Amino acid sequence: MLYRTAGQFKTTYRADQALFPVRQDAFLLGVILVFAWVIFPMTASEFTFQTLLIPILIYSLAAMGLNILTGYAGQLSLGTAAFMGVGAYACYKLIEVMDPILAILASGVFSAGIGVIFGIPSLRIKGFYLAIATLAAQFFLVWLFEKWAWLYNYNASGAIQVPNLDTFGIFVTGPQATSMTQYYVILGIVTVMTMLCINLTRGTLGRTWKATRDMDIAAELIGINLMRSKLTAFAISSYIVGVAGALFVFMWRGAAEPNLFDIPLSFQILFIAIIGGLGSILGNYLGAILIVGLPVVLNTVPGLIGLEIKSATVEHINVMIVGALIVFFLIIEPHGLARLWALIREKLIIWPFPH
Amino acid sequence: MKHFTKLAAAAALAVSGVAAAAESLYVPNLSYRTGPFASTGIPLMNGQLDYFEMLNARDGGIGGVMIDFEECETGYSTEKGVECYERTKNEAIVTQPWSTGITLQVLPQTNVDQIPILAPGYGFSPMADGRTFQWAFNVPGGYWDAADMIVQYLGSEEPLEGKKIAFLHLDHPYGKEPLPLLEALAAANGFELLPIPVGLNEMQNQSSQWLQIRRERPDYVVMWGWGAMNAGAITEAVKTRYPMDQFIGVWWSGQDADLRLVGEDGAGYKAISWSYPNQDAPIQAELKTHVVDTGKTLSNPEEMQGVFYQRGLVMSMILAEAIAGAQAEFGTAMIDATQLRWGLENLDITEARLEELGMQGMVPPFSTSCANHTGHAGGWVIEWNGTEFDRASELLKPRVDEYRELLAASAADYAEQNAPWAVNEDCNAES
Repeated sequence: MLYRTAGQFKTTYRADQALFPVRQDAFLLGVILVFAWVIFPMTASEFTFQTLLIPILIYSLAAMGLNILTGYAGQLSLGTAAFMGVGAYACYKLIEVMDPILAILASGVFSAGIGVIFGIPSLRIKGFYLAIATLAAQFFLVWLFEKWAWLYNYNASGAIQVPNLDTFGIFVTGPQATSMTQYYVILGIVTVMTMLCINLTRGTLGRTWKATRDMDIAAELIGINLMRSKLTAFAISSYIVGVAGALFVFMWRGAAEPNLFDIPLSFQILFIAIIGGLGSILGNYLGAILIVGLPVVLNTVPGLIGLEIKSATVEHINVMIVGALIVFFLIIEPHGLARLWALIREKLIIWPFPH
Repeated sequence: MKHFTKLAAAAALAVSGVAAAAESLYVPNLSYRTGPFASTGIPLMNGQLDYFEMLNARDGGIGGVMIDFEECETGYSTEKGVECYERTKNEAIVTQPWSTGITLQVLPQTNVDQIPILAPGYGFSPMADGRTFQWAFNVPGGYWDAADMIVQYLGSEEPLEGKKIAFLHLDHPYGKEPLPLLEALAAANGFELLPIPVGLNEMQNQSSQWLQIRRERPDYVVMWGWGAMNAGAITEAVKTRYPMDQFIGVWWSGQDADLRLVGEDGAGYKAISWSYPNQDAPIQAELKTHVVDTGKTLSNPEEMQGVFYQRGLVMSMILAEAIAGAQAEFGTAMIDATQLRWGLENLDITEARLEELGMQGMVPPFSTSCANHTGHAGGWVIEWNGTEFDRASELLKPRVDEYRELLAASAADYAEQNAPWAVNEDCNAES
């Protein structure tokens, strides 16, 4: 049907290992990219930019960072939000000396460093115990954001405010920046990072991570250096999460207080990664669409069909629907939305045969 | 065919809905009836809502147009707040952000979006400087006013020289807000200020903070609490036998429900308040006729007598007065956001006007101008007598002149950090 693979012959090993063994996948990705780069920005309203497109991209990026660490390298982390915070605060200090977009990209370096430091215990402990160690990072860093006044330039309120900054004369951060500009900056960064992650996880490094995840003793026996494998996972994951944190505050929120980076945000990103599918890149986007985008869409439904429901009631119903959907998806496919899509795709490829 | 008729009916409904919307003023409120602060939010939201319900039922709105007072639920979450702001800003003539976090995020946007923020008694104190913050209003009083009045009141009991005042505050922009002023006042009056932060995750269990208070033995505890923190502090104070008459809170720490938990044991606890639930004011009967008896209210009799519900009424009254003022000035019932800003800048709530509104004694008289966006109405100290709050002082007025420079400096600082920031050049800085 849609996924007819008839006539697509592979005559070389290279073709067999290509990113898109089936031509339709490349076509589908092309369509999605055209939508993301051209059609959405042309048609989106301010509201769509600010509540759907921008947050979904940023959350996807944060979940992707976590997925590298938890999904690919198998190191459970509950400190994602704190590492986002490191990125945001580093960016706040860096914009004083460099271009904002460079500052955002450089802020990840700081969170990578902190990530490696908090990743060191992973050499000794695994699973839940490691999760507790990253939880310590979560509490300590948020406490640090509150107490270290230099981080927020001694503002009386203790919050950071994003100033208006420009790159080559175009405002990219602050209230003067247009949503369109910010969207393109985010989309550019997210696109590059996604390409990077896809290729990393398919390459040597990705395979060492997966080996570490699946059976670390066996991995060590075949000559994989576990220390390097785990610490690179922590570094790269924290870098991506840090950049996501900088984007989160500078390209979307416009202000942040320390408790923004508290544990609920960590959980939200973990849920996105789990619902989307651990150990997949596509899953982060699907998860973010479900967890971040769906509530916003649900909120607009009663208004569209002309129902007069109190906003608070809508909010309660919304929480129930999203919760039910999460349970529903996890029941029909415990490995997440990405796996669900993979199954649908398999079915389509061999359609009309049952298996 | 059936589908088609349904669709047509829906379309007709939608069109008529739009037509009806065109004949009303859209006044959104970023409410929080859900989430961790719902218990504090609900009475305030109900008060705000009921006042407009009453105007719509009694007078057919304001100046002949109905007020479409719509709530957009945020659950006090900043993310949802921004969603609500974006959703409502195109049609709205005003935005009421309702949380310090949301206010912080929306404040820089106002110069771009040109829509007034109404933040009655909360938000960033330097918003009082209307030349810098053209679109933001924290009438009738800001946190610095509150801090100054509390210090005045404590000083009127006995001189503060050499005294020790603990400042128990939420470790959050809201709780840190009065610190610069309190430090200045401590230096000026010679008392020792002891800030004691309460983290957001320690709100329910403040044993370590109260241990510190027991050890330090301050002469007074001043509290900047919110939500669960108030109840936590008050029960903890009762438990550690801290003398309640030396314990005073800001206006968000003076909620009946928090004190009902301890009842008689809380007697003597005080809070500063710019509103007072005057049960004899004529407005109460009006509400009963138009809102309670018609079954429009979401509130209940006990809540309706409380400080917060009645404060919600005052908030909506202020907004309604601004709308009416703008309508009179511009000769149109359908005002826009810019015209409403004029209305908010030219409020003049006198004793006589309060009398006409049937709200005497519920808020001190005050007026605003283009330079003064707070009004600095002042307030009363209210005291818990074991069952309800009574007025415990004469009207206090904040000594704004003492910290006007501090306000201006903070405002200038903000404008500089957010450059390019448009200020109101046509406005002469006057009192």
